[in-house]
Amino acid sequence: MELLLFDAFNGLIVGFFYALMALGLSLILGLNSVINFAHGGFMALGGYLAFTLVPIIGFWGALILAPFAAAALGILAERGLIRPLYGRDPLYSLLLTFGLALILEDITRTVWGAQGLPFAIPNFLNHPLNNVYFFVTGYRVFVVIVTAIATAGLFAVLRFTRLGICIRAGNADLETVASLGVNIYFLRGANFALGILLAGLAGILAAGQLGLTPTMGSSLIMPSFVAIIVGGAGSLIGSLLGGLIIGVAAGITTAYFPSASEVVIYLIMAFVLMVRPRGLLGQEGLFE
Amino acid sequence: MSSLLEAEGLQAYYGKSHILHGVSLTVAEGEVVTLLGRNGAGKTTTLRAIMGLTPPREGHVRIGGVAVTGWPTHRIAQSGVGYVPEGRRMFRHLTVEENLRVPPPTQGRWSLTAIFSLFPRLAERRTSKAGRLSGGEQEMLAISRALLLNPRLLLLDEPSQGLAPVIVDEVMRAVQRMRDEGTAILLVEQNAILALAFADRAYVLSDGAITHAGPAAELAADSEKVKALAGARASRAA
Ligand SMILES: Nc1ncnc2c1ncn2[C@@H]1O[C@H](COP(=O)(O)OP(=O)(O)O)[C@@H](O)[C@H]1O
Ligand SMILES: [Mg+2]
Repeated sequence: MELLLFDAFNGLIVGFFYALMALGLSLILGLNSVINFAHGGFMALGGYLAFTLVPIIGFWGALILAPFAAAALGILAERGLIRPLYGRDPLYSLLLTFGLALILEDITRTVWGAQGLPFAIPNFLNHPLNNVYFFVTGYRVFVVIVTAIATAGLFAVLRFTRLGICIRAGNADLETVASLGVNIYFLRGANFALGILLAGLAGILAAGQLGLTPTMGSSLIMPSFVAIIVGGAGSLIGSLLGGLIIGVAAGITTAYFPSASEVVIYLIMAFVLMVRPRGLLGQEGLFE
Repeated sequence: MSSLLEAEGLQAYYGKSHILHGVSLTVAEGEVVTLLGRNGAGKTTTLRAIMGLTPPREGHVRIGGVAVTGWPTHRIAQSGVGYVPEGRRMFRHLTVEENLRVPPPTQGRWSLTAIFSLFPRLAERRTSKAGRLSGGEQEMLAISRALLLNPRLLLLDEPSQGLAPVIVDEVMRAVQRMRDEGTAILLVEQNAILALAFADRAYVLSDGAITHAGPAAELAADSEKVKALAGARASRAA
């Protein structure tokens, strides 16, 4: 029983990483109409940048700064590479981000080395909170809290700020947003940055749990896409839910059929698509 | 007379199909001009070309004497053009108030307060989703959104479309208010009789070219022409 709980909880934590990734992917898919294969690359970059920043500004400083550093690089990529492809066949941007993912992975490999790196977290977060539930470490609780804060922050931005309102309006009809005097070039850049910010944060949180490897991005991105499909494209809450479901399901499967833990997420996706093709929370607009 | 809007020789395409064949028209400060023509004549495309949504491949657009051809749409809007698109194009899953927060804040006559006193119905429904509004309320919201830019020129694409006559009267009264405030208006309509009663001047568009230009009263008196325009409408309805 404890082992099952252990695996389910482990899966839940990984599910939080998927959820943060899926939220950013969903934002970028919605407004920028880009399937961002480079999302995992930016996630890894967030983790590695934090690794470099920790000795200089400490864990907490890196936790705040590294996602913004990743987002700044995201803005450069959006401006320089993706922007010229808006309005063209989506295949172009898909190929571009696919290539960018490979480039980012090679950059991390070149700069930080092909070997995995340990990511030190503050000592007090390392200890279990409880002797029986030894797997409930301070760090895992910390991951849950940070993800909850980031998600609440994102939803607050989308609901209450003019930027967020324009993003939601633009998801439905970007042309009309432009005709109302809104600079949609800026809007798309800001939205892309917001998505990468979440990816960078996921990278740091994941680094503390799983360590750093150049391939961490590519191993987390497919489940994040699956999370979007399961949750329902176009629904941010769906992406969040999809990420958690996928994570827990993979975790539980690990307890019984370790070899099937990777396959199970695709089985869930196939099942959801058969029963409810638009995903769990598809159809609805952004958070209704 | 210097014009607020000058469109000159606009050629516009959707992909390979050539839609506008050299459309020229002007709107002076404070003037109300109507652009008439049967369904598919290219009226919407003309407005889209002016807004830079379907950028003209040839020709020029000037707003207040400034050439805006090739500008991105948001800059054309910010230069003083309010656009109320065909079919209203609400952000349906946003509330009325959120719809009104999309345009960037500007100084001038039209603030949120002024809008809500012009359309009290929108004030009552400010927290409703725009998708739940009636057609008339949606038209008012679409006009309000554009007014918040405090435009010098308002482009209205078939504001009467799909509305009951009483509601059309209400919408047109609001448009009259904007005209009284000195806002120039380019009004695209299928309902020629309604538009001609309202406008100072009229253009008739046919297959992407202007075939008639003159004072609205003159065209209104030409019952043959009006019948032809109204006939197109009647035959479409049938
Ligand atoms: N997005 C589009 N793609 C291709 N053709 C279009 C598109 N929109 C309109 N058209 C065509 O352009 C012509 C003019 O359309 P439009 O400007 O909408 O006319 P109107 O507003 O006068 O009814 C029509 O023949 C229409 O079929
Ligand atoms: Mg039209």
